[in-house]
Amino acid sequence: MRITFARVVRSEFTKLRSLRSTWLTLGTVLLLAVGLAAAIGYGVRRSVQSGEPAPSVADAVAVALLPMDFLMLVIGVFGILQISGEYGSGAIRATLTAVPRRWPVLGAKAVALIGLTAPVLAVTCLAAFLACQAGIGPDGATLGDPAVPRAIAGAAGAAVLMGLLGLGIGAMLRHTAGAITTLVVLLMVVPVLLGPVLPGEREEKVLKFVPALAGQAMYSLHGDGAPFEMLTPGAAVTVLVGWAAALLLGGVAVLRRRDG
Amino acid sequence: MPSVEVMIEAQALTKRFGGTLAVDELSFTVAPGQVTGFLGPNGAGKSTTMRMIVGLDRPTAGTVTVAGRPYREHPAPLCQVGSLLDAKAVHRGRSARNHLLALAQTHGIGRGRVDEVLETVGLSTVADRRAGGFSLGMGQRLGIAAALLGDPAVVILDEPVNGLDPDGVLWVRNLLKGLAAEGRTVLVSSHLMSEMAVTAEHLVIVGRGRLLADTTVADLIARVAVGSVLVRSPDAGELAELLTAHGAALTAVEPGLFQAAGLGAEKIGELARGGGLALHELTPRRASLEEAYMELTREAVEYR
Repeated sequence: MRITFARVVRSEFTKLRSLRSTWLTLGTVLLLAVGLAAAIGYGVRRSVQSGEPAPSVADAVAVALLPMDFLMLVIGVFGILQISGEYGSGAIRATLTAVPRRWPVLGAKAVALIGLTAPVLAVTCLAAFLACQAGIGPDGATLGDPAVPRAIAGAAGAAVLMGLLGLGIGAMLRHTAGAITTLVVLLMVVPVLLGPVLPGEREEKVLKFVPALAGQAMYSLHGDGAPFEMLTPGAAVTVLVGWAAALLLGGVAVLRRRDG
Repeated sequence: MPSVEVMIEAQALTKRFGGTLAVDELSFTVAPGQVTGFLGPNGAGKSTTMRMIVGLDRPTAGTVTVAGRPYREHPAPLCQVGSLLDAKAVHRGRSARNHLLALAQTHGIGRGRVDEVLETVGLSTVADRRAGGFSLGMGQRLGIAAALLGDPAVVILDEPVNGLDPDGVLWVRNLLKGLAAEGRTVLVSSHLMSEMAVTAEHLVIVGRGRLLADTTVADLIARVAVGSVLVRSPDAGELAELLTAHGAALTAVEPGLFQAAGLGAEKIGELARGGGLALHELTPRRASLEEAYMELTREAVEYR
């Protein structure tokens, strides 16, 4: 009997799976994503019926994944709670006593988070797309349209990465409330404030690198178009992985240095 | 069980939190096969020391090893050291069984062992209930189950009887003695001498983060025993003057009865006879363990 990384991963899976809040959160995300997408799709159908032009494939995908813009935040909070919940309850002491080298704990949490949320979010985004197109009706996009599967996978991937972002922030700050505030500021306030702060052309250059917009670039089919300059999907993945990695490394540094 | 004489060894262990020195160059050893009581007033640094033993707190200076190595360097720490540092170190939404299972899985310890320790601590029937609804006593039992999970050679428990009912207290005492009898090293902290008096054979006593005594229960009494004599006399006033003149310190108990410290019963008897004073009672009083402890820690109690 000894500690191995694979065993710590198993332990972290057990922790996630054994909390009712895990299933409540992921279930709610699934229902909201699909339900809102269907409703939005139906709204588009009514607009088309009242004489508006039929949506492009890019638009049909964008409206289907619009709820995910906001549900990303829920997954981010889910990532935060995966570790801040342990600090809040004191369970972290049992965890760190069992794995005193500590870094494997955060690494295993990340692996377990990916392992659990990736399939759930892939299903969620696929179901949201299908529900939305069903709502739009004959003018909707299909899975056979170019780049549609990539956009769906991109949305799921962006959400998983937001979870990792949250996990990193949670590991660095430890307190749930502070970590959630930080996440909200990073995802929702920073993009809004960067505009007024930065001079014209620099805003264009910097804004696309903030996590919220890099995430959206992963599942947008609008390319470099409106409303603002976006990264290519490939570059967006790199940027968001970079954000998650930086925050997780920060979390490891805090975890190793500070008293448990 | 490894046959070594020292299982826990602290050397000049020091922990500073900001401006507060919680543990101050503390050195002690803990041997296997007996219950060692880690005793001291609240705030003496007991919990901090225990947290440093299992690597939760990093020492500011000094070292502490378990079986010759720092805790974090053991490949299977739970099999080396089982610890209960905080009864409520459980996520409220998780069941007792899953809490233990998650800990067990980090070491590849099987589900069967989880069931076993649940049985040992008497939580089998509530094992699948959310731990958030547990009483303090049930939380303590769950913490002890977690400590026993790896069948460890060393068991460290911080105030394990806190919040337990009399049955639970008795159960913990017997458990500790049983673990020590199996050859394990048992370090258990308490701020109550009375509790340690019935469970521990060896005592490590701390106050304000410093070592006050590293001794056996029997030695402690002998060492600190102030010893006083209860004196009853119809001539109490005169006798008191006489004894004071010979260096005794007196405390009046009631008219005609006082307690004399600094002179033995024999000496007091002889002085009374020499002065022609009657004695109705002359009772030597041995300091209790509790008094010995109070005496030892009086200086070290932190007044806030």
